[in-house]
Amino acid sequence: MAAGMNKYVKYGLVLLLSIGLILFTQEIKLLKYPESTPVTALTIYGLVSLWFFSMIGIFISDQMQRVRIKVIRDFPILGWVSITSLVFCLLSDFFVEAIQAVDFLSITTPILTFAGISVANRLVDLRKTSWKIAIVAIFVFTGTYVGSALLAQLGLFLAGN
Amino acid sequence: MKGNLLYLIAFALIVIFIAEMIGFQSLPIGGFTIGLLPLVFAIIITMVLGLGIFRKGFWKKVYSESNINFSSKYLIFIMLPLMARYGADVAPHLREILSIGWVFIIQELGNLGTVLIGLPIAIMLGLRREAIGATLGIGREGELAYISEKYTLESKEGRGVLSIYIIGTLFGAIFFSVFAPILLDLGIQIEALAMASGVGSGSMMSAASATLVATVPDMESTILAYASASQLLTSFLGTFTMVFLAVPIQRFMYKLMVRSEK
Repeated sequence: MAAGMNKYVKYGLVLLLSIGLILFTQEIKLLKYPESTPVTALTIYGLVSLWFFSMIGIFISDQMQRVRIKVIRDFPILGWVSITSLVFCLLSDFFVEAIQAVDFLSITTPILTFAGISVANRLVDLRKTSWKIAIVAIFVFTGTYVGSALLAQLGLFLAGN
Repeated sequence: MKGNLLYLIAFALIVIFIAEMIGFQSLPIGGFTIGLLPLVFAIIITMVLGLGIFRKGFWKKVYSESNINFSSKYLIFIMLPLMARYGADVAPHLREILSIGWVFIIQELGNLGTVLIGLPIAIMLGLRREAIGATLGIGREGELAYISEKYTLESKEGRGVLSIYIIGTLFGAIFFSVFAPILLDLGIQIEALAMASGVGSGSMMSAASATLVATVPDMESTILAYASASQLLTSFLGTFTMVFLAVPIQRFMYKLMVRSEK
């Protein structure tokens, strides 16, 4: 039990770091672009909501590991967090307003900062892949994106949007 | 250990500061304009400084084993507030999204484009069994699990999927942030591109949708709502699309192309 608690304290702290960095990023962005999303009391409530929904999502994901259906066990934490947040936001508009007071692009910069650091040891692995696969990769990424975009375009057209 | 983590956090603050100060830059290339967001600068700075040749003295403390492990182990948790933000973006648009729910489901099939476009190219370049792993999908966790279960990661198929995984991890976000606005220039609707952004990888989806938001700021809420709804759908349906459609189609095309060569 103690170990279990400890785990959640750790997640809580990492999430605190994450929302702290978002706030920092939004402040810096305001220095550069004073007309971007201002930091207000609502922003702080928004960040707290994000922290809170993330924790609930982690908890749900943990609990779901006991479910027998594989698709549910494999459903990513990221998905549970979005669903948790969606449910709360449908229940009260306050959460929507507060969370939207957090600048979207300011959320993305810290994430990609850590993404860049996390791959530091993988750069060496690049040598193991051939240039042929690198070319294939470009077409694979293009394929999924263009494929979806064209079908979506067609669908929206048929739906009359 | 704790001291090293402080170096990491201080370093992150500095990188964010620099990236945000560079801000949003647009780069005209040929007939297209490529928008570079702070997130692109952040990932480039951290990747370049992480190269082996820089990892001496002070940088060794920032890029210590424990810090790199911390970043990769907890990246997903650092990403969670973003996922929570998506809930708030979908909520006000939920009715609209459900009314065109079938469009969201149809565009999921677009993910088969990895096989339809990628496989012929791979075969043409002379790849064989590697091509199976490399073109099944964009090489995220789902494909990795499937291939390693069926062929093991040491096999040629395994090497193919691992290569895509590595390339995607390193360059996926940068690729999508540059590529998405190009398609906008080519005349594809912003709503369609937003839906397509739900490719199944958190950082690639963020990069694709972020760059669309920066290009068409007035549509921010719609873009984020569509992108995240589609991402959620990919998390649910991705495995099914792969097992029941991508795998059989790939097998059929592979046999057809490799046999006709002989």
